Amino acid sequence: MKPYTGRCWRFGDDLASDEMIAPQHVFEYDPKVLRSHLLEGARPEFSQQAVSGDILVAGRNFATGSIHSHPFLALKDMNVALICQSVSRGPFRLAIYIGIPILIAPASVIESLKDADQLEVDFSSGRIRNNTSGQVHNVDPVSPFLLEIVTSGGGLAYARSITGPEGVPNA
Amino acid sequence: MTKRPATLVEKILARASNADSVAPGDVVWAWPDIVTVPEVSFPAYVKRLRDNGIPKLARPETMVVVIDHEVPVHSKEGAERNRLTRQLAQETDVAHLFDGEGITHPLVVERGLITPGMFVAGADTHTSSIGGAGAFAVPFGFEVTMIMAIGKIWVQVPETIRIDLTGHLAAGVTARDLVLSVMQQIDADFANYRVIEFGGPGLSNLSVQERMTLCGLCIDMGAKTAIAEADAVTERFLKDCGIEGVSMERSDPDCVYAARLTIDLAELSPRVSMPPLPSNVSTVIDLPDTPIQHAYIGSCASGTLAELTAAADILDGHTVHPSVQLLVIPATRRIHQQALEQGVLTRLMRAGAVISPSTCGPCFGGLAQLADGETRISTSTRNDSGRMGSRKANIYLGSASTVAASAIVGRITDPRNYVKGGSVK
Repeated sequence: MKPYTGRCWRFGDDLASDEMIAPQHVFEYDPKVLRSHLLEGARPEFSQQAVSGDILVAGRNFATGSIHSHPFLALKDMNVALICQSVSRGPFRLAIYIGIPILIAPASVIESLKDADQLEVDFSSGRIRNNTSGQVHNVDPVSPFLLEIVTSGGGLAYARSITGPEGVPNA
Repeated sequence: MTKRPATLVEKILARASNADSVAPGDVVWAWPDIVTVPEVSFPAYVKRLRDNGIPKLARPETMVVVIDHEVPVHSKEGAERNRLTRQLAQETDVAHLFDGEGITHPLVVERGLITPGMFVAGADTHTSSIGGAGAFAVPFGFEVTMIMAIGKIWVQVPETIRIDLTGHLAAGVTARDLVLSVMQQIDADFANYRVIEFGGPGLSNLSVQERMTLCGLCIDMGAKTAIAEADAVTERFLKDCGIEGVSMERSDPDCVYAARLTIDLAELSPRVSMPPLPSNVSTVIDLPDTPIQHAYIGSCASGTLAELTAAADILDGHTVHPSVQLLVIPATRRIHQQALEQGVLTRLMRAGAVISPSTCGPCFGGLAQLADGETRISTSTRNDSGRMGSRKANIYLGSASTVAASAIVGRITDPRNYVKGGSVK
């Protein structure tokens, strides 16, 4: 997987899924519509200014609360990747399933990544290069298993890639 | 070479992933033995697969589709969803379609589809309840589409928290009170990505249905799932469901647990979850005076024959308070029929209860909604704001015994003064 090169969008602990996309949009599944609502309360400029290759960096307990796919569908559409200090099972699985590169990094690494820093992140190896501060960190990448799903474009794209013409899996 | 000692769930995942052994943190592909999907999801999942060029299910022989959330159907959308569910279940060759027979988790156990040691994947959050029968049962939400497509799912092998039970529950105290006590001791940060395993000498004093209540509600403390060790109680129960000879596989004595704690069942007292979270727990005697207008006994967590019977025992000789509506919904049609034949429903109705056909209904606000400012004491699974209608309504969760005693008094009430041999200490 090609490294992501872009801006760090820094958020704190307990960034709730409902703060990322307000619950009033739960019946909306169109990523193009969802991305215009992404973080519109917390960081109104995000949906306009974030570009492909940027990285959202959060603290503990990322995407807490409702296990909704909406923020992830929007992030995927924008091609924005994730680094966080911790994430519970539900949103972690969603990130992989939707196909968003993710790294879990220790608190010291998260703290060294400041808003608007220019980052270069290799999700396959776990190397995070901060071009603004000059620091380089190495963290554990997600399992190669999961990276394969993300690289395929998410769970269903992965499933399609390993199913034969009849739809019966040859795996 | 001697094998590394393993927990029960590690053994189940090793088998389900065709590996010799697995260790916590490993990510493996695992093949579920049973996959459950309710009608609220099934047509949408099949459409999603078809839209992605995946027309066939990989292992339809493992699939169980259940029409349980809106029974009897009471909306045009629901009617169309049910029609599509029936049609698509046939088109995709799923092995089992249960149409209005009851709520998924108790139903698949009752119908003999579950044996201890199975890996069960479900779309519904409270799939963990099946752990009460000794299976490793995990909710996957809409990732079930991936299982439908390729027959397998990635699983990160979880660490296990072991809870040893000792003693007997006192009269009027139930498995609900036990799981709420566990929630007071284990928070979501600690439970995250971990499995809770129940065993110890006290487990044999809990029926399989009580273990299902216990495991089902562990999901609401943030655990990945929960499992009760299979034993002679499981074997007897499953024999009545048509299953002969069950696996009694256990964790190895020297396996590594993330934590281990012991709970003496005799020490427990009735508890409720206060708004707005199941884990917001108080003992009933410490609760401020709480008037109620609604009482509900039912759901996958509590609509069992034993819970209905316990409620009837408390209501005998009493009537439901004039300002309270008591609704009772047996979890499956078979339980409904048994409760009818044993006179349990007659006793409940004599006291003033209204009985409805088996459905998830009120638990997620699909039936018997609450208005602004109203309060319900309920045996269902969650009490988030707005879950049962108005966001300005209050939902308390407790056992069927607590709900029955509260329905008599019109305020949330400790049931121990209403049961034979019970006393509020």
